[in-house]
Amino acid sequence: MTRETNGNPRAEMPLIPDATQDASAAENLLQTARRAVEVAQKHGASGALAFVNTVREVSVGWRDGKLEKISEAVTSGLSIEVYADGRYAAVSSSDMRPMAIEKLAVQAIDMARALAPDSFRGLADPKLLYSPRMERNLSLHDTSYGEMTADKRREAARLMEEAARDVEGKENIVSVTTNFSDTRSVVAGASSNGFEGFYRSTAFCPSAEASVRDPDGRRPEDYDYAYARIQADLPDLSSIGKNASRRALGRIGAVKGKSGKYTIAIDPRAAGSLLGRLMGPLTGSALQQRRSMFEGKEGEAIGSKLLDIVDDPFVMRGLGSRLFDGDGIAARQMPIFEAGVLKDFYIDTYYGRKLGRAPTTGSPSNVILKPGTKTQAELLRDIGDGLLVTGFLGGNSNGTTGDFSLGIQGNIIRGGAIAEPFAEMNLSGNHLEFWKHLTAVGSDPYPWSSRRVPTLVFEGAQVAGL
Amino acid sequence: MSDRKISRRSFLGYSAASFAALAAADVLSGCATADKAQVKGTGTGAAAGGSMITGYFERFGIDEDIIRRALAAAMSKGADFADLFFQHRVVNHLALEDGEVNQAYASVALGMGVRAVKGDQTGYAYTEDFEPEAIANAALTAAAIADAKAQGAVADFRRIELPPSRYAVKRDWEDVRIAEKLPLLQSVNSALFAKDPRIQKVAASLADESGHILVARSDGLIAEDAQPMTSLAVSAIAEQNGRRESNFCSLSGRSGIELFSDEAVSRLVDKTAQRTLVLFEAVQPPAGIMPVVLTAGSSGILLHEAIGHGMEADFNRKGISIYADKIGKPIAKDIVNVVDDGTLPGARGSLNIDDEGNPAKKTVLVEKGVLKTYLHDRISAKHYGVEPTGNGRRESYACAPMPRMRATYMENGPHKREEIIASVKKGILCESFTNGQVQIGAGDFTFYVKNGWLIEDGKLTRPIKDVNLIGNGPKVLSQVDMVADDLLVDDGRWTCGKDGQSVPVSQGMPTVRVPEMTVGGQGSQG
Repeated sequence: MTRETNGNPRAEMPLIPDATQDASAAENLLQTARRAVEVAQKHGASGALAFVNTVREVSVGWRDGKLEKISEAVTSGLSIEVYADGRYAAVSSSDMRPMAIEKLAVQAIDMARALAPDSFRGLADPKLLYSPRMERNLSLHDTSYGEMTADKRREAARLMEEAARDVEGKENIVSVTTNFSDTRSVVAGASSNGFEGFYRSTAFCPSAEASVRDPDGRRPEDYDYAYARIQADLPDLSSIGKNASRRALGRIGAVKGKSGKYTIAIDPRAAGSLLGRLMGPLTGSALQQRRSMFEGKEGEAIGSKLLDIVDDPFVMRGLGSRLFDGDGIAARQMPIFEAGVLKDFYIDTYYGRKLGRAPTTGSPSNVILKPGTKTQAELLRDIGDGLLVTGFLGGNSNGTTGDFSLGIQGNIIRGGAIAEPFAEMNLSGNHLEFWKHLTAVGSDPYPWSSRRVPTLVFEGAQVAGL
Repeated sequence: MSDRKISRRSFLGYSAASFAALAAADVLSGCATADKAQVKGTGTGAAAGGSMITGYFERFGIDEDIIRRALAAAMSKGADFADLFFQHRVVNHLALEDGEVNQAYASVALGMGVRAVKGDQTGYAYTEDFEPEAIANAALTAAAIADAKAQGAVADFRRIELPPSRYAVKRDWEDVRIAEKLPLLQSVNSALFAKDPRIQKVAASLADESGHILVARSDGLIAEDAQPMTSLAVSAIAEQNGRRESNFCSLSGRSGIELFSDEAVSRLVDKTAQRTLVLFEAVQPPAGIMPVVLTAGSSGILLHEAIGHGMEADFNRKGISIYADKIGKPIAKDIVNVVDDGTLPGARGSLNIDDEGNPAKKTVLVEKGVLKTYLHDRISAKHYGVEPTGNGRRESYACAPMPRMRATYMENGPHKREEIIASVKKGILCESFTNGQVQIGAGDFTFYVKNGWLIEDGKLTRPIKDVNLIGNGPKVLSQVDMVADDLLVDDGRWTCGKDGQSVPVSQGMPTVRVPEMTVGGQGSQG
């Protein structure tokens, strides 16, 4: 996807040693995690769980025709959770030398002992734990990562910027910034009751932002990006540059519409964040702390039949894919909503015990909303007149009551097609009512996020404007 | 792995989320790497061998020689400026839930970042390994932003002496034992439950931080600062006739445990109870355009979003802010004066020096309605040919600095709060907020109102809740037509995010009136 510009291709020789380079890196980290657990036990912990990670992160930024920023680092982190005398504490540090690990473990135990006992605290049920024999290849690591060079990154960033400036209306562009960043990480974990696991992963993120001049004095901006585990999954980089500037140029002349009830379509790039607000109160902590609008609603219809969501940690190359969670519990697929009905919660070990429920997992992996069959263009035709929301601006959602109020921007839909842009408007409602009016979903799930959500259509949405 | 956000939007949050996410560390007193015994050997007197010059960081083996080598390496490919940023941060977090303090988190971060600058181009690298070789390699990596021969040399070092700290603590957090912190959380819990039988759940947490930074620059400046921080956060869940409501309040500052006096804690408890229980009476305001009164205190969120971010000079240097080219021009009525102030004693947003070693000042953004000064870091100050304003901040050693706000507030005006409320026929009054966001170039911004009141015929009639307000920065600012004399800088735990970096900030405001803003309520006006 990139080409060499100057000189011969050469292997990158980073000055900062790349601790993520070898396949053995993961096993080395696992050794460190094991050692941390053993040391904690030696000093009196009845149980311990440790995670260790190392990340190499490189980033190149390009702005208005020249290199703007380069950044590179390899960093490490260690966290230890200890259980001692029926008490719990957690510590983390970037220092992984044996002496420092021992000190950290001792301090964690001292800290725990100063607290109140908590009978609900403890390591996860051994029957649920992950072990390396359960390993499956999710293709999270790009084996060609090592071929990435400083020159290739610069060329990628340069190419996106050049493409962004090669669009209709380019004379209104004020500034374009592009960035190419990639990471390779290794994570390993171990517990005193049998959990062990490790994996390597990579991620590539090309992005572009453009600012344009609006005759009214505003300088609207927009962006585009891709985000993938495997470099070959990235789209043509020039399309990212072009999309960024086209989107920004499309913001020129934005109007503010009238307050009222609208049929709205939410673009896949924006839809994930709305879904995130719906799903936030699905945690065991929210339930147990009585901060969840979903309390007592398991088995009830929360949305229309189109609200159909699976949490799937095993998506190949998935951005949210994983083998185990933060408790060391082996990953598994889990239905969250089936035909609008609430099926399950994100419950970790601790809050599971407090609630008297079996734990599932403490946090989302890949959230997959079942796509429909129509393209966005077809959905807009069906809508006729309404609003296409392409982005949210601020706002918040009350997880206890379900009330939400969010700034929106996008385009007016008129006669079934995209018309002028709108800005400075607001969408509000209550999740427990709003999702019942989900009347159509597109065939276009967003690929660059762990939330794979297609275009969503809602009827009767309350919008504030003029 | 969380989803990557790339928008140039900036946001402000009254961070309920920072609990586990933040590197939280506790009793991890002192050294993450070296032995404390080493400290005793140095401290006093003799600067020979450069030992004095690195101050606090000498305990980690950082000396003048390492600094000089690293800066020379950073400058070795033709950069015209370089700096090193060393940071040691020990964070402790204690949490109470269901009546017991049974969760403690602690974290230690120790690392350094190297920046090489050529014009407006930046090379950056960072490391957690303090071996001289690792630091020099990071410096060489950053140096690659330039590709010529070394031009500038590293000047002789001089340590700048700072005036007395704006946030000296009576006792370092590292010397405060957990046993001393527990009663604070327990008293919040029992006081809140005693307030009202409707209160069902209380969660409280105490975070404290001992931060040390050292900046060394190729122009020879060496500056050091000790930056304490603490916050006490409380949330309450109440139930009435089967309905539940929750709210959240916090108290934060660059302070020691003395911030949490009995009186301050009791104010926090009262506020939390009142702001939670009033929600049972609260309604959603109508949707649409109406007059908005912002009460003194955290309403400063309006300034943060409507003008603060847009005045950060990096956006203006690049021509992408709606305020680009507006210096010296009137943008508001002459009763409007806005500052960004790093000098308030003990404020969450205060600084002695910024993260580039520049003294933090009080910077005037708007004077009598006229736009005066952008908020600068070193690169933008050089671009505009002005003195740095002390706004070059970074989240940690892993990030290059950029212009950021400190404590942003509006100065007092000629009106009275009562007179402002009485002037509104039909509108809303905003009292507490959770978060806000802005688009730098378009100028559109929002902020989310958690508590407020309907104003009808000049009187507060019904509480309102959970509503987002949306407006355009320059438009709204130009419309502010009444400013009261009751300035209050809020002491909540505000955190500002920009390009993925979070920094603590403060904000304040006297009571003001905005004649029209879009209120994202539900239902029609009638």
